Parts: sequence; structure tokens; C-alpha cells
Amino acid sequence: MAWKQTKISAKMLFVWFLLAGLIFLFAPQQLTGKFQSAFTHIFRLPLSIGRNISLASNIQQPLTDIVSRREYNKLQNHIANLTQLLEQEHKKNEQLSGLRSRFVLEGASFVLADIITASTGGLESELTINRGEIDKIKSGQFVLADNSVIGIVSNISSRTAHVRLITDYNSKIPVQIAKTSRIMQGCGNNSAMINLLMTTHKVKKGDAVYIDKQPGIIDAPMIVGTVSECKKDAQNPLLWDITVEPVCQIDKLTSVAILVMNPQKN
Amino acid sequence: MRWIRFAVLICLATILQAGLLNLFAVTKWSIKPDLLLILMVFFAISCTGRDAIITSFTIGFAADLIGSTMGTQMLSFGLLGVALANLHRIIAIRKMPHQALVIFIISFLAGVLCYFLTLLKSASAPNAYAVIFGSSLYSALLGPFLFLPLSWWMRIKKPKR
Repeated sequence: MAWKQTKISAKMLFVWFLLAGLIFLFAPQQLTGKFQSAFTHIFRLPLSIGRNISLASNIQQPLTDIVSRREYNKLQNHIANLTQLLEQEHKKNEQLSGLRSRFVLEGASFVLADIITASTGGLESELTINRGEIDKIKSGQFVLADNSVIGIVSNISSRTAHVRLITDYNSKIPVQIAKTSRIMQGCGNNSAMINLLMTTHKVKKGDAVYIDKQPGIIDAPMIVGTVSECKKDAQNPLLWDITVEPVCQIDKLTSVAILVMNPQKN
Repeated sequence: MRWIRFAVLICLATILQAGLLNLFAVTKWSIKPDLLLILMVFFAISCTGRDAIITSFTIGFAADLIGSTMGTQMLSFGLLGVALANLHRIIAIRKMPHQALVIFIISFLAGVLCYFLTLLKSASAPNAYAVIFGSSLYSALLGPFLFLPLSWWMRIKKPKR
């Protein structure tokens, strides 16, 4: 069979590429995300090396006599989680009055994952991790680091997964603040905000913000951030304008844990 | 056009953009130069019609692979790259300050266009324009210094008009 060489005009080429771009734009994210996952999977080694180099450059001098800031934050988060759990258990005790209950995270398992790429601080805050469908990771599961929630599994392929961080501007998660539930939206610059909270609720800088429990996904409230700024809304003084920052340094992380509630055993 | 060299360059730039370039991130918004956009501008002003179309859209596709939404950067890079290639037939962009200015304008326009396209699929972001402006400025400062090594790697002696 003779090879027939065809010459495509520049205009036609432009139209084809434009069409391809539009298809990518309007195709479902689950489908187009496979291209991103494939790229991450193929180049995971150089991507990891690049990230490790940038992390290594940020390593501070080791402290000998005092505990590191990261360890301190980790322990603080653990205390906050335990306090919240204790409060919840007290409530259960009061409600059930004698019925046997089990510890809320007793049936949970954690899947450890290494971070391949991380995009934090800018508009998009996302991690790519080296665990996927074959590790029984599912979309919507919570991702933890330093005893705190840092994001949700958003996109998944067989061997890699994307984690949408709580600071991503597309992230909207239900949280507990001042003993009430509100939606926390990411701002994109390593912070998130909580709106529509009346000033009658007492909120101050440093207050802990917990993720709202979602049965089957996360059965107990867990710390997600602390209030870094709290001021009255400029347009509506009856509402708070609250800025929340994560309780762990996400850009310094090398690994995370995915929370799998009540895993099915083979 | 040396396509194998181009492919190697794009792969390398995409990997650097996704990981190592975080070393050079500044301010609390982690503003970093957009290496792929600098490449797009370089190829748009160095290549003729067909090659400029292919390189612009391909670089946009590479940028999408490390971004959050597929298609947005492919379209914005492609449209602006082709526009720049056509503009370069009329106006020569050879001096470094001119190159920096072009990178800044194209980067800002591409950022804004990409942001608007992203809005079709997701929520709006606060401080988006500040981040786009910062990134454009950073790319404009760095970009012209990369044009010489890029010309050497791609064996391009003089930018064509």
C-alpha cells in the first residue's frame, strides 16, 4: 500500500487543535483526569526528585533541646482531636445511657501514600499521591497529615490519585466552628474562609475548626485548621468574615494518610 | 523544526514546572515563573505559521497535564500563541525589553483567559488577578534570559519574521 502524504492547511490545523481543546474542556473530569494521571505515573520518578529537592532546600537547622514546630503542631492537633472525641463520647454516653458503643475510629484503617507532586500556595492547591484504585482508594475519602484533615481525594486512577486540598478554591467542606456547622471554602493562598456565621457566635483568633462528621466517610470530627483572622464582614456587620489556615505545613509534607472508614476485608 | 528536541524540551519544562520550580516561588501566594508560557512565546516568535500552531497548542496541552482542569490552557495558549505568531510577521520582537513586555502581556492575557475558562467548570478564586499579575511579572523578568539557551538547543539562529 502506497503511503499517501497529505498536507493539512494551517487553518485546518488550527481548527482541529481548537476543537481538541474544546473537547478536553467540556469532557467529564473523570475522563480527562486520566491524561493527568498517566503523565504523573510515567514521570513519577523525576517529579518526586524535583519535589524532594525543593523540600530539601527548605529544611531548617535541627533543634536539639526543644521540640520542632511540626512535632508541636502535630501534638496540638492530636490533643484537639482527642478533646473533640471525648466531648462526642460524653454526649453519646448521655444519650444512649448504658448502650454499648465502640470507639469511633476503631474500625478505620489508614492507607499511607507518598506525595509525587504538590501544588500549594497558588490558586490551585492539589497533591498527587502514589496510591490509587488498586489500593482501594475512592473519591471523596479524607486525607490526613499530622493528625489533621488536609484534603479530599478528588480524582483517581489505577495507581495515582489527586487530593484537593482544603485551601483549593474549589474546595467546599462542612466544618464545625463555635459549636455550629458551616461551609468552609478554600481561598487558594494556603487559607480558607468561613462566611455566613452570625456575630452572635463567639469566635476568636486561634479557635480550632473541625471537619463535620460524615457517617461512613469520617465518623468523628477532626481538626482541619485554626482561625487566623476574624473580623466583621464589611458588607454585613452582623456576619463574621473568618479566615482559616491549615494546622500543618502542607508544603513540607512528604507523605499523607488516607482515611478509610470501615474497610471491607478480603 | 526539530520535533524530537522540542518534545524533550517540553517534557523537561513540564517536569520542572510541576516540581523543582517551587524552589523559586515567592510571596504567600507561591508565585513562580511560568516556564511553559515562556516556551510558548519563544516558539510563537521563532516559528512560522504551521509550526507555531502545533507548538502553541502542544505546550498548552502540557500545561494542562500539570494543571487542575484540562483544556483551559490548551485553548488559551493556542489562541494567544497563534495571535502572537501572526503579530510577529508585522512587528519584530528581538530586543530583550520587548521580549519581556510581550511575555508579560501574553502571560497576563493567557492567565485571565484560562481563569475565565476555568470558571465554566469551577468556582471563582479570590486574589486570582493578583496571582496572575505576579506570575506574569516573574515570567517577564526571567523569560528573555532563557531565549538564548533555547535558541541554541533548538538550533534556531535568528527569530524568523
